[in-house]
Amino acid sequence: METGSANPQSSLTNRLNLGWLGRMLSSSVGRKFVMGVTGLLLCGFLIGHLAGNLLLFGGPEAFDAYATWIHNQEFLPLIELGLLLLFLAHIYLAVVVTIENRAARSKRYAVKHSKQAGMPPLPPHNWMFVSGAIVLGFVLLHLADLRIGLRPDLAFPEWDEHHPRMYEMTVAVLSNPLSRVVYIIGTIFLGLHLSHGAASAFRSLGWDHPKYTPTIRLMSWLFAIVIGVGFCSLPILIPELAAVAPPEAKIVTPAEP
Amino acid sequence: MSAVVESPTKILDGKCPTGDIAMRWETRKRELKLVAPNNRRKFTVIVVGTGLAGGSAAASLGELGYNVLSFCVQDSPRRAHSIAAQGGINAAKNYQNDSDSHWRLFYDTVKGGDYRSRESNVYRLAQLSTSIIDQCVAQGVPFAREYGGTLANRSFGGAQVSRTFYCKGQTGQQLLLGAYQALMRQVTAGRVKMFARYEMLDLVMVDGVARGIVTRNLVTGKIESFAADAVVLCTGGYGNVYYLSTNAKNCNVTAAWRCHKRGALFANPCYTQIHPTCIPVSGDHQSKLTLMSESLRNDGRVWVPRNKDETRPPGQIPEADRKYYLEEKYPSYGNLAPRDVSSRAAKEQCDAGFGVGPGGQSVYLDFAAAIARDGESTIRAKYGNLFEMYERITDEDPYKVPMRIYPAVHYTMGGLWVDYNLQSNIPGLFVLGEANFSDHGANRLGASALMQGLADGYFVIPYTIADHFARNLAKKKDEKLSTDHPAFKEAVIESRNQTEKLLSINGKRSVEQFHRALGKIMWDKVGMARNAAGLQTAIEQIRQLRQEFWEDVRVMGSPDSLNQNLEHAGRVADFLEFGELLAWDALQRDESCGGHFREEHQTPDGECVRNDQDFCHVSAWEFQGAGQTPVLHKEPLEFIECPLTTRSYK
Amino acid sequence: MIAPAKSGLNLTLKVWRQSNREASGEFKTYELSNISTDMSFLEMLDVLNQQLISRGEEPVAFDHDCREGICGMCGVMINGQPHGPDRNVTTCQLHMRRFRDGDTIVIEPWRAEAFPVLRDLVVDRTSFDRIIQQGGFVSVNTGSAPEANSLPVPRVKQERAMDAAACIGCGACVAACKNASAMLFVSAKVSHLSHLPQGGGERASRVLGMIGQMDREGFGACTNTGECEAACPANISLWNIAVLNREYIRASLASNVQ
Repeated sequence: METGSANPQSSLTNRLNLGWLGRMLSSSVGRKFVMGVTGLLLCGFLIGHLAGNLLLFGGPEAFDAYATWIHNQEFLPLIELGLLLLFLAHIYLAVVVTIENRAARSKRYAVKHSKQAGMPPLPPHNWMFVSGAIVLGFVLLHLADLRIGLRPDLAFPEWDEHHPRMYEMTVAVLSNPLSRVVYIIGTIFLGLHLSHGAASAFRSLGWDHPKYTPTIRLMSWLFAIVIGVGFCSLPILIPELAAVAPPEAKIVTPAEP
Repeated sequence: MSAVVESPTKILDGKCPTGDIAMRWETRKRELKLVAPNNRRKFTVIVVGTGLAGGSAAASLGELGYNVLSFCVQDSPRRAHSIAAQGGINAAKNYQNDSDSHWRLFYDTVKGGDYRSRESNVYRLAQLSTSIIDQCVAQGVPFAREYGGTLANRSFGGAQVSRTFYCKGQTGQQLLLGAYQALMRQVTAGRVKMFARYEMLDLVMVDGVARGIVTRNLVTGKIESFAADAVVLCTGGYGNVYYLSTNAKNCNVTAAWRCHKRGALFANPCYTQIHPTCIPVSGDHQSKLTLMSESLRNDGRVWVPRNKDETRPPGQIPEADRKYYLEEKYPSYGNLAPRDVSSRAAKEQCDAGFGVGPGGQSVYLDFAAAIARDGESTIRAKYGNLFEMYERITDEDPYKVPMRIYPAVHYTMGGLWVDYNLQSNIPGLFVLGEANFSDHGANRLGASALMQGLADGYFVIPYTIADHFARNLAKKKDEKLSTDHPAFKEAVIESRNQTEKLLSINGKRSVEQFHRALGKIMWDKVGMARNAAGLQTAIEQIRQLRQEFWEDVRVMGSPDSLNQNLEHAGRVADFLEFGELLAWDALQRDESCGGHFREEHQTPDGECVRNDQDFCHVSAWEFQGAGQTPVLHKEPLEFIECPLTTRSYK
Repeated sequence: MIAPAKSGLNLTLKVWRQSNREASGEFKTYELSNISTDMSFLEMLDVLNQQLISRGEEPVAFDHDCREGICGMCGVMINGQPHGPDRNVTTCQLHMRRFRDGDTIVIEPWRAEAFPVLRDLVVDRTSFDRIIQQGGFVSVNTGSAPEANSLPVPRVKQERAMDAAACIGCGACVAACKNASAMLFVSAKVSHLSHLPQGGGERASRVLGMIGQMDREGFGACTNTGECEAACPANISLWNIAVLNREYIRASLASNVQ
C-alpha cells in the first residue's frame, strides 16, 4: 500500500484488517452494543455476588467459609481484572455516549413532556448516567470498605489467611449508621439502574422478538427487583440479626495445633 | 353560442406514430435518436418537481449518465404530494386471471376519460403499466401480497377487473419513497444534484429553445438561474386555484404558468376532477379538504333522506325514507359509479335541498349494512385507518353514525400541452405527470395518476429526451451555455422585479383573503357544474379581483429570507391569471364531457351530453398577455380503436 | 340542518420566533379568541398569522404541506410534546377540540443539532436525506427489474416491511428523544428493506452506511427510552430499533463488507 501511513498503530490496524472494529467501536450503535454486553456480564457478576452475600444470613461460619473458599481461588485475580475491565469499558462508554448525546441537543426545550402513557415523573431511563454515577461512587466506597479495608474508624479484626473474618468486617461496616444509609441508597440506585439497563441491553444487542420480548422485559424487571431488594436487604437486616446474636459468641477459637 | 367571443384558431399536431396501435410506441422508439453513454455526461437536464413523475425521471436520467439538477419546493424530495395518493396503481398484469389486458386498460382509460384523450398515449400508458410494477417491486415497494407470496390486487374506481396494486392505504407514499430512494442513490452517485426548498419562477429560453430556469432559494430568498440542455417540468396540477382542494398547500401552477407565459401551450384547463368522497367543510377556517379513499365505496352505501325537512338522526331514519340515489340511478355500477358521475349526483342532491350536516353540504356514506353483513372487525381491517382519520377530523364515529361526504377538487386532467414525446411546443421543455394534459382526457380513473406519473418518468422521458439532444443539440454538446447569457440575466431581473413589486404594494388585504376569494369564484361558477352566464361572470370577477390584488395586497416580510407569505403571494398572483384561462376554456368548450359539465348540455336525468362534432379536440391555449384573449390551437382527436360512444354507467 | 354554533376557545400562545438560522430567537406571546374546536392546529396558526398580517407583523413561519398526515412536512413541539398530545397523529391532524378554553400553548420547533432552525418553527431536516443517500435504497436501475411475481415474498414479511416503510420522515422521533437520536427513523428504513428479498443484497453496506451518516450528522445514540415510538405519528415500532441493532452487529461482525 502506497498510502505510507506514518502512524504505526493504523498500519497495524491495516495489517490485521481491523478497520471494521474501529468503525464499530466508534459508532453509536457499536458502542451501545458494547455497553449492553458489558452491562449484561456485570449483571452476571451481580448474581454471583448476591448469591454469596446472602450467605450472611447463614451466620459467620457459612459466610466465612464461602469467603475463604473464594479467596483461595487461584483465578481470583483474573476474575477481578476482568471485572475491572468490564467496569472501565462500561463507564468509559457511558461517559462518551452521554457527552455525545448531550451535544446532540445543545438548545434544550422550554417545556418537555413524555408521550408515553403512565410514565412516572422521573423514569429511571432518563437518568441512567446519574444512577450509574451513584452506583459507581457506591462501588468505590464498597471496595474501600471491604476489599481494601480502608476504614480507620472501625476496629477491623486482624487479617488471617486461613480464617478471614469477613463476616465480622461486613457487620462492622453495615452497623455503622452512615455506611448503612450509604449502602441502602447505593443498592436502591443499583436496582433502579438495572430496571432500565437490563431490558435495554437486550435491545442494544438486537434481541427483540415478538414472542420473547415480553418475557425478556418481565425477567429483566424481576432481575432488577431481586438484585435491588436482595442487596438492599443486607444493610437493613444484617446489623439487626447480628445484634440479636453477636458474632463474637459464634466465633470458635481455632484449636491450637 | 354566438355570444361568446371566439379565439383565433390554429391546428396542432400531437406527432403520434401511426399504424397498429399496439406497435406505435415500438415504432416511435425506432425513430428516436440516441445519445451514446460517453456523451450523456455532456448534457444537463433540469427536473422541476420530485413527485412520482419528477422523482422517477430524475433518478432514471441520472442512471443513464446525464447531469441532472433536481428542484423541489419542499424541504425534501420525499414530500411531494404524490405521497398522499391512497388507493393504488393500475397495471394490466392480469394476475387475477380476470381477462385484463393492455387493450382492456386502454379501453377503460379512454372511456373513463370520456373520449377526450389521445389514443396513442393511452395505449402506451397501458403497455408501460406492467413494467412499472416490476420496477417498483424491485425497488422494495411493499405491495400487498397473497399468503403464498404473490402480489395481491383489488378492484378500484369502478373497474370490472382487479388490476389495482396497493400498499395498505398508502400506495402513493410507498411508490414515491421508491422513486425518492432511487433519486437519493443518484445523488450519492454524483449524477443528480438536489436543490430542495427552491421554487421555479421562470423558464429561460435561448433561440426559442428551453435552456434553463430561474429559481428562488426559499431559505435565503436568493433569486438565481440555472442553465441546462433541457427542462423537464413535473410540477403537478393546479387544483389549488379553487383554494379548497385535496391538494397539498404548496401545490401551485406557477412553474407551468410561467412556462405558458413564455409560449408553452396550456391544454384543456377546464378538465378538473372532483372527487366524490371527501370530508365536508366544517367552517370558514377550512384550509384544505381531506380525501378518503374511493375504496370506501366498495362497502359504503351513499344516501340522503327522502324528505328535505328530515330532522331525525340518520340511524333512526327507516329504509323507506332513505334515498340511495346512486343505486337507484345507476343500477349496474351503483355506489361504484365513476368519480365525476358520483360527485355530480351528490351536488345535485344537495342543491335540491336533500343534503345533510351543517349547511346541508354533504351526503351520507353508510357502513351499517356492511357492518351487519361482514362484522365490524372485517370493516375495521379494511378501512380502520380511514375511519380513524374521519373520526379525528369530524369527531364522529363512523362505526356508529354514517360518514358524511362531499365532493372536492382533487385532480386536474388539463395541463401544459405535450406531443407524444411529452415535449411541449417549446423545444427542450418536457412536461410529465399531472402537469401535462396527455393521458386522462376529460376525467381520470382511480389509480391511474400514479401509473401515468411513473410511466412518464421511468419509461418515456429517458427515451424521448435523448432524441431532443441528438437532433437539436448534438453539435453544441461541447459548448457550455452559461447563465451569463443575457436571456438568463433578463429573466432573473424580471423575477426580482415581481418579488419587489409584491412586497411594495403594502395594501390592506392578505394574500390568503385573495386566494379564498378566487377559490369561491372558481368553486361557485367554474366548479362541478358550469354555464355560459356563470363563466362569463366568473371571468369578469377574476379580472376585477386580479386588479384589486395588484393594488391592495399586503405581503409581509423581506425578499431575502424565508418568507412563506411572499411565496404564497407569487403563487396566488399566477392563480389569478390562470383562473381566468380555466374559466375561458370552460366557456369555449360548449359541451359536457367528463369533469367538465355544462348545464346547457345534459340529458333529462342530468348526464353529460358530449358534442363530438365540434369538440372532439384538445384545446391548447397560447398566451397573449394577462386579460387578453388567448389563441386557440386545436389538436383533433381520433377514436379508431375505441369508437366514440356515449359513456354510460347505468 | 345547521349545527348550533359552538362557542370558541380563548387561547394564549407562546410561540418561538427566530428570524434566521444564526439569530438567537425568543418566545413571543399572542392571544387568540374564539377559536373553533373544529379547526386543525395548523388552521389555528393560520388564524394567528392572519391577525399578525393585519397588525403589520410578520407571520409565524411553520412547515406544512399535505395537511392530511402523510407528507411529514409539519411538526412542532406543542406543550413539550412532538405533534401535540395525541398518539399516531401529525400536527396537521391535531384538532383544537383537544384543548380547553383558557389554555396556554407553548409552541417550539424541533430541537436538535442535526435539525438547525431556519426560521421560527421551520427546521432543516436534510440530514435525513443524507442518511438515506448512504444506502437507504435498493440498487436497481430503471428497466432492469425482473418480473414482479418472480420473487414471492411471504405475506408476513411484506406486512412487517410495510409497517416499517410507513415512516413519514417528519423527525418527531428525534424531537422526542432526550438524546436527539434518529434511530427510529433509520431503523424504519433498514427494517423495511431488510425484510424484503429485494433489499437483501445490500443489507450490510446499507446499515453500515446509514449508521455512519447518522453519527456524522450529530444525532445522539439510542438509550431505549421509548419516547420516539410514543411520538411517532406513523406508528413505527421500537422493535425496528432492535432489528437495526441486529443488522448492524451482523454487518460489523459477520459480513464481508469493509
